[in-house]
Amino acid sequence: MELKEIKCESCGHVNPPGTQLCQSCGNMINSDYDKNKIKDLMRYDGSAVRSKTRSKSIFDKIWIFFTSVKIGVSIILAIAVAAAIGTIFPQEYFIPLGVDPAEYYQENYGTLGYLYYSLGFHNLYSSWWFLVLNGLLALSIIAASIDRGIPLFKSLNKQRVKKHDSFFRRQRLFLNTERPADTSSLIDAFSKKRYKVRKEGDNYLLEKGRLSRYGPYINHTGLIILLFGSMLRFFPGMYVDEIVHINEGETEELPTTEGQYFVRNEAFTLDTYDEEAGEVFDQALSNNRMVISNFQTDITFYKNNSADIVGSSPDLEEIDEYSIRVNHPYRFGDYELYQSSYDNSQLKSMTFRLEDENGNTVGDNFTVNLNDPEESFEVADGVSVNMRAYSPDFLEIDDNGTLVSATPVPRNPAFVFEVADGEESELSLLQIMNSTDITQDNDYSIRFVEAEEHMASVLTLKKDLTIPFIATGFIIFLIGLFTGSYINHRRIWIRTDGNLLLAAHTNKNYFGMKREINEVLESNGLEAVNDKLDDGDKDKNKE
Amino acid sequence: MKGRTRNILRVSIIVTIGLLIGITVWFNLTSGTKAVEVGDKAVDFRLTTLEGEEIQLSELTEEKGVILNFWGTWCKPCREEMPDMNDVYTEGHDDYEIVAVNVAENEQQIRQFISGLDADLEFPIALDRSKSVTDAYNIGPLPTTIAVNKEGIVVKKQEYQLTHDDITAFISESTE
Repeated sequence: MELKEIKCESCGHVNPPGTQLCQSCGNMINSDYDKNKIKDLMRYDGSAVRSKTRSKSIFDKIWIFFTSVKIGVSIILAIAVAAAIGTIFPQEYFIPLGVDPAEYYQENYGTLGYLYYSLGFHNLYSSWWFLVLNGLLALSIIAASIDRGIPLFKSLNKQRVKKHDSFFRRQRLFLNTERPADTSSLIDAFSKKRYKVRKEGDNYLLEKGRLSRYGPYINHTGLIILLFGSMLRFFPGMYVDEIVHINEGETEELPTTEGQYFVRNEAFTLDTYDEEAGEVFDQALSNNRMVISNFQTDITFYKNNSADIVGSSPDLEEIDEYSIRVNHPYRFGDYELYQSSYDNSQLKSMTFRLEDENGNTVGDNFTVNLNDPEESFEVADGVSVNMRAYSPDFLEIDDNGTLVSATPVPRNPAFVFEVADGEESELSLLQIMNSTDITQDNDYSIRFVEAEEHMASVLTLKKDLTIPFIATGFIIFLIGLFTGSYINHRRIWIRTDGNLLLAAHTNKNYFGMKREINEVLESNGLEAVNDKLDDGDKDKNKE
Repeated sequence: MKGRTRNILRVSIIVTIGLLIGITVWFNLTSGTKAVEVGDKAVDFRLTTLEGEEIQLSELTEEKGVILNFWGTWCKPCREEMPDMNDVYTEGHDDYEIVAVNVAENEQQIRQFISGLDADLEFPIALDRSKSVTDAYNIGPLPTTIAVNKEGIVVKKQEYQLTHDDITAFISESTE
């Protein structure tokens, strides 16, 4: 490859190193290129692809490395393969909450799972190497676009009207015919087809749809904005996706708001379709027992006026009330609060009744609130039940007689109840599944009646300030795609100093262009253009 | 485009993208609430104790070193270290204070636990019912013990059961 500037043998124009077609007259500079390569030559209008010319500093070397289409495709391939591998085992946000991911992947998927975890595939989209790959893709897109786009822009922008004879002959669509008396009507006819006409002596350049050539670069700009937007997601404060779990009747602080906002779950509603209601869901209803028609959380939204010290009780001011339903989030500031799911797995309270030795119920039932149990219950006149001990998740009885809990979560509640009827007191240990007398020969027994669960609404708190970037990126990307795909860059060169020489080039759809030209030529009484592909090997005709 | 402009363009694009990748990876690796470590400033908090008094960390550290012990009645090592801490504490605590921060349990559970002990606990038990302090310190396993000196700096942290020696080590670190 030539590294010196090139002087055109035909017109004397000095071209940058690496140029294939003279920028001035279109004469072929490197005659090694045979005719099969005409298409390649014309892709960047014969101008030098920059990176193929010189390499000096380390930055130049990096730059040239990333301008390579092969490298770009390899990066895209690597991203695609990584994304595919990321679907083999579940991502971390799909594994059960509170489980140690290191153990989870090892236990469930063996050595492969361990590898998966250690290489960061469990959190693919935020693993450092995936971020780096995307960054390199951005560099590759920018470098390759600048490297090709700028020379293309220059050569299209300063193209000359007058072209060398050989340039005419090399174009796929070519006509050499006797000059008609009136060439201006021919030019006018093209002009009516919305060709822009440039004239230089007896030479004409007719051009339209040049924007098509910039389609890929518009497209790439969109991609870069898109990548930039997805990068911003990692910046603090730009993106929030948090789960908020609120029991009915309770108030919770909204995460990431610095203790500024609180939400109270007034009521959670779950409506189902009535089986008798209509025909629309009949089939679904007969397959499943229950089809849900509405999830709804009625909330009160509070602002905290004393967001000072951690742990201090907030000073809540009621701001708003709202009913959050699926697809009807509550919006405040940049945040949205969505209905996500519900949870009724946590025990809230247990109700018991007292039986005497004959099996008759004594007095009223009593209910123990598991979150904050009372110590004593007056069930009838003179008869009281005292809760002497409570263990939310019963494990064992300690040496000193206290109940030991395995966790603070009420999964397997156990109680020691004392029944006092004024004369004597009896003790018994009650678990969900069995009860044991502690004192001998108890008269009373306590029976489990029912349990109530917490109805917790699970909401998702979302904030995404990157949406404008991502939306803009996509729109520009699509505009670029449209420009590159549906607009054709068509150029016709005409020379009228001897015979009528006509050559035409388009970046796509030669068939359409040929028809357009022939229509004009025919109406001016001229013969149709020659298509080299038609004249040559018809078996290989691809258009 | 002249060679110089081209070089400036190339270098600035490569450097910008390199920096952006670096920043993003850094944000990514440091995201999530970071656990309080030795050398960090201790997050100030105000909690109500089992006795109904309000205590604030920054007020305590004005005069004394403070040992924060995050615990729960259901956690075996917590139960076991409590009497030891109490023994050391009752020998004198003029220059330090122990605050046992109970993580989100109700008073019944705490009182039940204390009533099962041989001696009453002398140090204050702070109730972190909403787990806001536990979250602010990003406490992992229980028990976790943190020593804060008079400057309000975390000087020692341990995420397992304290021995008698550990307790005296925490006291001396917090009062230095």
